[in-house]
Amino acid sequence: MSDRLRRLYQWLDERITIGDLVQFMGKKYVPIHRHSIWYYFGGVTLFLFIIQVSTGILLLLYYKGSEQLAFESIQFIMSKVQFGWLIRSVHSWAANLFILSAVIHMFSVYFERAYHKPREVTWLTGMFMLLLGLAFGFSGYLLPWNELAFFATKVGTDIAGVLPFVGKPLMIFLRGGEEVTGATLSRFFGFHVAVFPGIFTTLLVIHLLLVQRQGMSEPPLSEGIGRERARMPFFPNFMLRDLLLWLIVLNVLAILAVFYPWELGRKADPFASAPAGIRPEWYFLFMFQSLKYLPSKVIFVDGEVLGIVLFAVAGVLWLLVPFLDAEKADGRTRRGVTYVGIGIIVYIITFTVLGWAS
Amino acid sequence: MKPPGSPVEPSSPDPYSGLPKPARRDFLTLALGGGALALAGAVLYPIAAYLKPPEQAEVDVTSVKVGKIDQIAKDSGMIVRFGTKPVILIRSASGDFRAFSATCTHLDCTVQYQKSLGVIWCACHNGKYDLSGRNISGPPPRPLDEYRVIIQGEEVFISKKA
Amino acid sequence: MGVVKFAASLTVCAVAIVALLIAPPALYGRDACLSCHQTLSDKPSALFAHDVHRLRGISCAGCHGGDPASDEMERAMSKEAGFIGVPKGDAISLMCASCHSDSARMHDLHSSLPTDQFGNLQQSVHGRLSLSGGERIVQCTTCHRAHGIAPVQDPSSPVGPLHIVATCSGCHSNAAFIRSYNPRLPVDQLDKYRTSVHGQKNAAGDAHVAECASCHGSHLILPAKDVRSRVYPTNLPGTCASCHSDRVRMKSYGIPTDQFAKYQKSVHGVALLEKGDLGAPACNGCHGNHGATPPGVASISKVCGTCHALNADLFSTSPHKRAFDQAGLPECETCHGNHDIAPPSSQMLGVGSDAVCVRCHSAGEDNGGYRTALIMRSLADSLIRAESSATERADEAEQKGMEISEAKFRLRDVRQAHMEARTMVHAFDAARYSAVVSKGLITAGTISQEATRMIQEYYFRRIGLGIATLIITLLAVSLYLYIRRLERAQRASRPATDEAHKE
Repeated sequence: MSDRLRRLYQWLDERITIGDLVQFMGKKYVPIHRHSIWYYFGGVTLFLFIIQVSTGILLLLYYKGSEQLAFESIQFIMSKVQFGWLIRSVHSWAANLFILSAVIHMFSVYFERAYHKPREVTWLTGMFMLLLGLAFGFSGYLLPWNELAFFATKVGTDIAGVLPFVGKPLMIFLRGGEEVTGATLSRFFGFHVAVFPGIFTTLLVIHLLLVQRQGMSEPPLSEGIGRERARMPFFPNFMLRDLLLWLIVLNVLAILAVFYPWELGRKADPFASAPAGIRPEWYFLFMFQSLKYLPSKVIFVDGEVLGIVLFAVAGVLWLLVPFLDAEKADGRTRRGVTYVGIGIIVYIITFTVLGWAS
Repeated sequence: MKPPGSPVEPSSPDPYSGLPKPARRDFLTLALGGGALALAGAVLYPIAAYLKPPEQAEVDVTSVKVGKIDQIAKDSGMIVRFGTKPVILIRSASGDFRAFSATCTHLDCTVQYQKSLGVIWCACHNGKYDLSGRNISGPPPRPLDEYRVIIQGEEVFISKKA
Repeated sequence: MGVVKFAASLTVCAVAIVALLIAPPALYGRDACLSCHQTLSDKPSALFAHDVHRLRGISCAGCHGGDPASDEMERAMSKEAGFIGVPKGDAISLMCASCHSDSARMHDLHSSLPTDQFGNLQQSVHGRLSLSGGERIVQCTTCHRAHGIAPVQDPSSPVGPLHIVATCSGCHSNAAFIRSYNPRLPVDQLDKYRTSVHGQKNAAGDAHVAECASCHGSHLILPAKDVRSRVYPTNLPGTCASCHSDRVRMKSYGIPTDQFAKYQKSVHGVALLEKGDLGAPACNGCHGNHGATPPGVASISKVCGTCHALNADLFSTSPHKRAFDQAGLPECETCHGNHDIAPPSSQMLGVGSDAVCVRCHSAGEDNGGYRTALIMRSLADSLIRAESSATERADEAEQKGMEISEAKFRLRDVRQAHMEARTMVHAFDAARYSAVVSKGLITAGTISQEATRMIQEYYFRRIGLGIATLIITLLAVSLYLYIRRLERAQRASRPATDEAHKE
């Protein structure tokens, strides 16, 4: 068997000279320390993305993106296509786990200051991928064209429309018109299966190339980890461990799909009134809940507009963290950055729970 | 000095140094290989089944195959399932086909072809429709919706109303 | 002195002029036409002597024109004096309308009559053109006569309640005449009317019962198919109710006045008046039109059976037919009511307090009726239960994502059995009823089974998950062990390099 592999390797090497690539990859190491566990989350996020693309492509074979047939096509997948229930539920669950995993990955990078030079661009591409992930979630949520999704989209695009100057044109662009209609569905479908995957893949390739090129970042000295530099090779050790974790995640997805199948609800009726308890998916909940607490008018500015602008500003600041918190000369970290991070996590969790409970 | 063939050494001239080497063919590697194969099967089998188009090929029923022409007797009627609705297919004595919704417009019972009277009859309350679907007697307030009958070669199809 | 005389004669003249002007028209000029024609002893003048117009001071010249004061024929009947001779065709009605449609004129003549008759006539079916095409079918004089016109309240009036029937049937019972206008229009209304209660009382001199104009109207008569007609199916119950719901009016006849109110709430009333279903009977659907009579005790099931044919046939061959006829019980009405027919429900069947069966049948009897009622009701209930449980199961399976459309399709058959059973009740035969219900029960049972199978399949998926989990776990454990072994091997082979890398 290994003989055959060697012959294959030789065949490839004679044509595309993969020798130095293999050598280079063989030199990759992953530091081992107290915080090594966080290294795995990037891979888990990648795995979940792969799951999303695969199940998404499978769903694409049966899904029909029109107002008349979207809901029915998902019903069809759930009931008539063999294992359609599995593919669909996995896709829905993996979407949520993807976001969760990406957020954990992001925060672990933040706290480890892994965005310091030379990894600023890695951080930027990662942030844009997270943004795209949220956009994937928002656009995908509408595709079953059920009651909850319809109204959640209505509310969501309404909020977008509140932005000053760009709000209205943005809302019309998103909705494909003044209201949420079949045109919105077409548009969101196009974004979800073509536009976003294209952009995301590009960013992903850059992100992965950078990680491979630059290697794994190591935690700051000031964390008191010590001068040890234990490490393991990326191939095969880290990769195999990664695979092991991926297997577990795969199993978790299967369990979730079987025991907590994703609901379909009722078909959207634009003329019916919104059912009680409309709220966005959990990853938008903290923002949604925060907006509710703002007064309707703050001095002369609309409360909602203020809220959205604040979030936008916060987002931009977060994006620019590598430049705002450039590495200090002595390598020590700024305590303030850690506290800000903890504060944000507490805020997000609190408001998510509040949003859930209400 | 490091033992040769060690998988960890970065500067070895061995071009295959970066690749993991299966150390020995023992139970563990067998289990690994077998497990990987089983996993592949457990993943690929559902996907293969998924890719096979189900019986009802499309989500919205637009046409239904009834059968071969010579299997449908003249001057007879039969009920065919069209998605979730029943449709009555009538072949007249002269051989022509007509199809109507088989849901009586009175109280939704299923109608049938009454050969002796030459009408479509509803057993529930004696409603009668002529062979053009028009309600001619009894309680039904409206005629029956008509469906299109298409003959393709030897096969008879019913499709959505004209 | 001369001034006083002048003033006095002036006053006398003034008074005389005023008196002449306001004096009753009867004193005002002679009707020379009438007196001359009376000497000729012609019919019109004989009739006109009693005419209501003459009594109001209108002379022959009022319609014919001419000079009623002149004895000279040439002068009296001259064109210069406005004589128009005998008006023909539409000119007749126009002449009548020249006063009767002029409210100012009618006011001047101290009449409180309405002024819409001619307008209505023009819009009515009678206002259409006659065969010749030169005039309307009916002129005022067709019904009211030309001379000797009496007010409607006058018993001698041809359009009064006692004589109008004869007036109308003058044309409408003439088959040849009516045929030339509408070959489909019946001409037997009078005959039928005379068999009805209305007709009989009318013939006996009762001016308060319904006659032609009571239902059809007088001037604005529209075909029964015209949606504005008072006898159009959706309007008819209201027309009948205008007398039959009037307590005061019906008092002397001793009949109830709640029929319309009951009908409005009934299944027929709701269907016709609210849903506009013209298949539902109005009053005439069961009572008839001109021969209106409440259906007889033995004939009720035949009347109801014109629409409810299956139920009527089953009833007629059931043991109830003879029993009801013997007891003088009106067939369908006994259980379903007559005007306040409610949509049927399972409550009506059986031996419960709401059931109609126990009105006659009791537990200890020997004719088996009580037992049959009991059996039928319990079968009906079991079918309803079976249907709902089958539907529930099928829905549950569908919710769980299982393919169950075929079974759901067959639920229709259960519903159908339910409908057919409702009709089969009227045979009052437990065996036949049971046969119909069992069809439904069997189908419901099959559907439930199929749904249960699907639900089990759903849980079976968990087994598939278990297998997958097993595979993954085995693989994961193997992988873990492999990694451990690999790393042990790695550590064993590079203790020195570890030192080299430590700083």
